[in-house]
This record gives sequence, C-alpha cells and structure tokens, in this order.
Amino acid sequence: MRIKEKTFLTMKHILLISVGIVFAFPFMWMIFGVFKTNNEIWQEPYKLLPSNWDIGEIIIGLGNIDFSQYMLNSIYVGVFGTLSILLISTLFTYVIVFMKNKNTNFIFAVVLATYMLPSAVTYVPSYVILANLNMLDKLNGMIFSCLANVFSIFYLRQSFLKMSFDYIEAARIDGASHFKILYHVIFPLNKSAFYTVGVLTLVQLYSSYMWPGIILNSQDKYLVSQGLRQFFIQDGAYGMNWSEVMLASTITILPVIIIFILVQKWFVTGIVQDSGVKG
Amino acid sequence: MRKKRLIRVIYTLPFLIPLLLFWIIPLILALIISFTDWDYISSDINFVGLYNYIDIFTDPDFVKALSNTFVFGLGTIFATIVLGLIFALLFQKNFTGRKIYQTIIFSPWVTPTVAVSLVWSWIYDPDKGFANFILKTLGLKPLEWLHSSKTAMLGIIIFTVWKSIGWTMLFYLGALERVPKSTYEAAEIDGGNYLGKFIHVTLPLISPTTYFLFIINLITSIQVYDQIQIMTQGGPGGSTTTLLYLYYEKAFQNFQMGSANAVAIVILTIIILLSFMSSYISKRWVHYE
Repeated sequence: MRIKEKTFLTMKHILLISVGIVFAFPFMWMIFGVFKTNNEIWQEPYKLLPSNWDIGEIIIGLGNIDFSQYMLNSIYVGVFGTLSILLISTLFTYVIVFMKNKNTNFIFAVVLATYMLPSAVTYVPSYVILANLNMLDKLNGMIFSCLANVFSIFYLRQSFLKMSFDYIEAARIDGASHFKILYHVIFPLNKSAFYTVGVLTLVQLYSSYMWPGIILNSQDKYLVSQGLRQFFIQDGAYGMNWSEVMLASTITILPVIIIFILVQKWFVTGIVQDSGVKG
Repeated sequence: MRKKRLIRVIYTLPFLIPLLLFWIIPLILALIISFTDWDYISSDINFVGLYNYIDIFTDPDFVKALSNTFVFGLGTIFATIVLGLIFALLFQKNFTGRKIYQTIIFSPWVTPTVAVSLVWSWIYDPDKGFANFILKTLGLKPLEWLHSSKTAMLGIIIFTVWKSIGWTMLFYLGALERVPKSTYEAAEIDGGNYLGKFIHVTLPLISPTTYFLFIINLITSIQVYDQIQIMTQGGPGGSTTTLLYLYYEKAFQNFQMGSANAVAIVILTIIILLSFMSSYISKRWVHYE
C-alpha cells in the first residue's frame, strides 16, 4: 500500500511538472525574449536562454518604448476605479442586507437580473450617453462608466449575509453611526471578501481592452492593453523589434503578478471558502 | 425613521446612478435602436420594424459568426470545466509543491489577455513557432494554426482554455473542500471504489458549482473579443469572427447601429434562453442540500 501511494505521488508530480511547464512556458519565453535579438528569437533550433543577459540594453529599451504613460493611465484607472467601486458597493450592499425593506428588495432583484447580462450589449448606447455627458476620451469617464459593478454587490452580499446580525445590533445599541459600523465591524469581518473583490476589479480594469478601445481615442489616454496593441501593429509581425514588445508585455503583467502574489492568501481562501455559490 | 430613509437613499444612489446610466437605460436603448436604421451621423432616424433582424439572419456572415461563437463556447466551456475539475482533484490532498503548481496554473488568468496574446501569436507561428515544434517533436504533422481557416479557431480555443482553467480550478477546490468527509466514509463502508465514489458522491455534491461555472463561462465565452482582435482579427476568411467581433465591426467601423444592436439583442436573447434552460435542467439534476 505504501509503495503504491508513493508511485502515485511520483506520477502526480511528473504530470504536474509537465503541465506546469506548458502553463509557464509563454511567460518564460516572454521574459527571456526581453534579452534576445530578433535573430535569436526566430532562429532554429530553439534556444530558450538568451546568449547574453545585458541589463544595460534593457534600460536603453525602456527609454525607446515610451510605455510609461500607458502604465500610469492603467494604474490610475485600476486603483481609483477599484477604490470607488469598493466604496459604492459597500454602501449599497449595507443597505440591501442590513436595512432592507420592500423597496430595497425590489432594487436588489433588478440588480440580480443584470448580473447575467453581457456588458458588451450596452456598448453603443453607453458610448452615446458618455458622449452626452462630455466624458468621452477621459480616464474619469472610463471609471464612471464602470462604477456599477454587479459582481461586487453579489459577492459582498454573500459575505455580509454570513455575518451574525448580533454584531450590528450591538453596535447600533451602543449608538455607533452607520459609517462607524461599516468601518469597525463590517470591514474587519469581511476582509477576505473585500480583498477578493478588490483584486478581481483591479485586474479587470487594469487589463480591460474592448471598452477603453471604444471610448479612449487619443494616444495619451490609452490603457496598457491598447498601448501594447499599438506597438504590435505599427511595424507588422516581422518588422518589429520583438525584444521591445516582450519588454512591454513583461512590464504590463508585472504589477498584476506582484499584487496577486501579495494578496494570494486572502484572495484564494476567499474564493475557496465562500465562492458565492449556494451549497 | 425619516433619517433611516434618507440614509437608504444616500447609500444606494452612488450605485444606482451608474447602474441606470450604463446598464438599464442602454439596454432599453439597444432594443429601440435595433428597430431603426440609425447610422450615427445623420439625424434622420426611421423605424424599420424587424428589417435589421431579417437582414442579419439572412446574412451568411452573421450565420457564420453565430456558429463560430457556438463552436468556441462549446469547446472552451467543456474543456475548461473538465480540466479544471481534474486539476482540482489532483490538488485535493495537501502535498509538497502544491501551492507552487497552483500559482503557475492560476497565473494566466490574472495576466492581461492582450499581453499574453502577443506571445501566443509567436507560439502559433507556422514556421518557427513553439506549437509546431512540439508537434514535430512528437512526430506529428505541423499545423498552419492561425493562418488557416481550419485551425484558427482551435488555436483561439486552446489559448482561452489555458487562460481560464485556473479560475475554474479554484472554484472546484472550494467545492471539494465543502464535501463533508462523512459522506466519503459512508461510501467506503458501502464498499465503493474511487471512481464509484467520485460518480455517486462527489459529482452530485459539487453540481451547484458546475452549474455556476457553466453560466459564468457561458457569459464570458459569448463575449469573447480581446484575443480574437489581437491574434486573428476575425480571420482567416471569417473563421474566427464571433458575434461580439461582428458587433464591433458593424457598430464602430461601419456605423450600422441598427443592425449592430440587433446582433446585441440576439446575444442577449441567447444568454437568457441558455440560462433559463440550464436553470430548468439544474432543478432536476443539481443537488442542493
């Protein structure tokens, strides 16, 4: 029995290592590609590792690609968008869960109905509305149009419902204001849900492509995904400098990966434990 | 009491205003526009009844986009759910290196689609790409991948599955953790083997998660756009033009707002029909405690 278990474990590791290689390969290729010349990238037979690791060239490359504006735009939209979404969703969910009445129940039913709907269906009218508000081609317009995040309501509500109402009652009897309750009771007790929603929204806003591609048209307003695309099309697949494209791609994914690793503990346990699914 | 009402209004308004402006009103407008011949530029708008709907359903490009979306959805949803469950089962027991493997499998999901699409477009290069290198090493015939209308969709599906598996796996891990240990023990006393236990105990108990993941994957796969725009631009020969890609072309390149919004309403109808259908099926098959 012991031997059987051991071979099983070894086989599992062999399987997972090969799967891991397949999953990680595109990233490895991207990072090694930063150090390669065009010839090296297209040469046969393959060379996974670049012939020289010249950090100096990368710094020169960084100067050439002029990517910082796109990064700043994406970080601005990601951070301020996420914070606003979290604040707005928390206030709304608080009323839905702890101050509910007939009206709020009805509103929540409407919100729930939009949860299933594809946002892309609304792009043409939303574009027109944004134009009428004079908010086209503005980063704040992008944030404003994404504020109604139904997923975050859904997820926060699921988490709030699991709390004991006694805490809220006790705080109310003590005369705490709604804001105090939110800050001192709700937030600490739902930390993992807040982190989960926060990371998901941040990643979503930071990498979004289609909607900003429609509403942000000046190049100095581009988010990273649009900026990357710009890079890719300006010289065609063979004409362009691949190591610069790989450099830009690497810089783009770096912040997301770092954030993901930092909050992984909260994030993963959040989904594993409360999943937002019945059952 | 008055104060309570005021708080309700103040706390819900910041969410309700954008919800109204960018969800509810646009949905109604999309439906109205789909019955008009609006071209964005002229102020002359006429109601044309069902013309746009008849027009798109008799248009071979639309029918093709519909079937492409169907193929894409079927391929990605099925593969993502099955493989995601298999990985979750592998990770069910704790062992050394578990966290690292999990992080690697999950990382494609957090990375921006456009950034990784660029590397993948190299992987799929017919002459020097990595995909054909693997096929050749295995002694198989190399494929044209994104350059041929026969294999382009397969390429997009493989990329999408690679990207979304980690997310599915995470949800299944949670579901498996919630399966009570006692049910396994009961099955063991009854003399069930691993496969039997899996089919009769595990699968029914995690069916709510399967249902949830099916719906989520359905909504995202009907809205596929980013990877197609970067990797194939709907080509070659329209073989990867999906409904949303067609919508984008009609609305923001050709300014055929009426027919674009008719496509949008079709997308919406498909999602509503499929989720009603699956909720009906789930009532009969999904096991809720």
